[in-house]
Amino acid sequence: MATEADGSHPKDPILRLQDVVAGYGKMTVLNRTAFTVARGAITTIIGPNGAGKSTVFKAVFGLLPAKSGRVFFDGRDVTNLPPRRLLDLGICLVPQGRNIFPQLSVRHNMELGGVASKNIKGLADRLEEGLDRFPVLRRKADVQASTLSGGEQKLLEIARALLLDPMLMLIDEPSIGLSPLMVQETFAILKDLRASGVSLLMVEQNARAALELSDYGIVLEQGRTRIEDRADAILIDPRLQQLFLGGGLADDAA
Amino acid sequence: MAVQLLTGGLAIGAIYALAAIGFALLWQTSQTINFAQGEFVMLPAFFILAAVSVAGLPFWAAILVGFVISVLVLGVLFKKLIVDPILPNGVLPLVVATIAFALILKESVKDFYSAQALPFPSLVPTEYLHVAGAVVSSQDLFVLAVSAVAVLALNTFLTRTRTGRSMQATAQNPVLARILGINVSRMILYTFVINASLAVLASILISPVYLAKFSNGEPIGLAAFIAAIVGGFNQVRGAIVGGLLLGVVENFAAAYLSAQYRGAIPLFILVAVILFRPQGLLGRAEERTV
Repeated sequence: MATEADGSHPKDPILRLQDVVAGYGKMTVLNRTAFTVARGAITTIIGPNGAGKSTVFKAVFGLLPAKSGRVFFDGRDVTNLPPRRLLDLGICLVPQGRNIFPQLSVRHNMELGGVASKNIKGLADRLEEGLDRFPVLRRKADVQASTLSGGEQKLLEIARALLLDPMLMLIDEPSIGLSPLMVQETFAILKDLRASGVSLLMVEQNARAALELSDYGIVLEQGRTRIEDRADAILIDPRLQQLFLGGGLADDAA
Repeated sequence: MAVQLLTGGLAIGAIYALAAIGFALLWQTSQTINFAQGEFVMLPAFFILAAVSVAGLPFWAAILVGFVISVLVLGVLFKKLIVDPILPNGVLPLVVATIAFALILKESVKDFYSAQALPFPSLVPTEYLHVAGAVVSSQDLFVLAVSAVAVLALNTFLTRTRTGRSMQATAQNPVLARILGINVSRMILYTFVINASLAVLASILISPVYLAKFSNGEPIGLAAFIAAIVGGFNQVRGAIVGGLLLGVVENFAAAYLSAQYRGAIPLFILVAVILFRPQGLLGRAEERTV
């Protein structure tokens, strides 16, 4: 693991993975994965296919059991807690692809963001705030969600995730299926979220654009953290070229 | 005569609807196609009769006992012992398992209780009321009223309570429901409990008229299945419409066409609907994501 000097290992991380092992059946995907995520910043996980990027999210969010290792959120051990507990504690997940209820209205979809929360006070107000924050959603509030464009649906998912006022948002490949213009708009919204105090951990295939947006980057390969550094440093790191032109990093990089 | 046929048809249709609603709910929430649904409606009456004749309980207490046992066996145990182990292997193996379960239930009643058609007490005295110049059975009106209340209660539960809305979300997109923090497996368990409860209610309503017989499951199960499809498999409202329609058409056809072919009517309707409107009367045409 890279041990850079100051700036690359956040001192008060909002999320920390410690030697997490997880996989599907006999196949291990996360191979003692460890990294930290800075508070109030945008961190992007990049890496080749099969590196375990989406698996990290599943293991953190309680969708896949961590066979060993620990996950710490805001200093607290949250390893293998179910999604409902994590939502209450302040983590939310915006998964890959389209994850809405197509037959329901935009408003109804947003409401369901809070369906499992015990804390219903103020939910209605936050729903209205959410709709106001994204004018296109306000305009289409009572329209069937399936009629929204891909970018608008992703926006709906983000707005829904914000309903419970999360401290950390895990967002998985937000750029998939979006036009370059929509990707820019979505990234701009992520910057706004950071400005309003939400920490963001993002997985992105579009490594360059994601790193340009981010403060920090984590390079994952074969379920292990290869590089953990400021995003601008990773962008000019020659090892990045090697990683994405095929051929893994030598194991002595650890 | 037509009014009588109509109310009679609606009454039997309401019972089909109760069975069809549970059937559709199980499919929507957990991909379970329950071909033992008819037997689920046949069986509770026997639990109740056994509670009366074997345990000597008064009728109202027998109903409670029968309800609890039915929900445990046909809801919880059915899910944990049959559905949970088999469903990961696919929908079709589960279908076959429910067919086997239906046979087990049917033959068990025949061998361990009775092969005869047994009388089942009615909750209201049978009277013939004169309404708008026609003669209508109090039994039919009672069935309609109770079914309507049950359906309204279920609908209120599903749309107005958090648990109900969580169940609906689970039915529409279980993967997403999980991410929203919903305890999906608990919601699915609730669906099985609701299905069993509806089956108990249907059993209590149908057995006074058609008597309690081990073979009752077949026609009811078939009607429930067809009603659910005719109405539109993805909609609970469709199951209601399908059930009522089936009951009414069946009744009229048996009276005006042929009583012998009564059993064939539902199948004709099924074929017609699948040919001309495969998504069902109220169903949405399935969109395929490309």
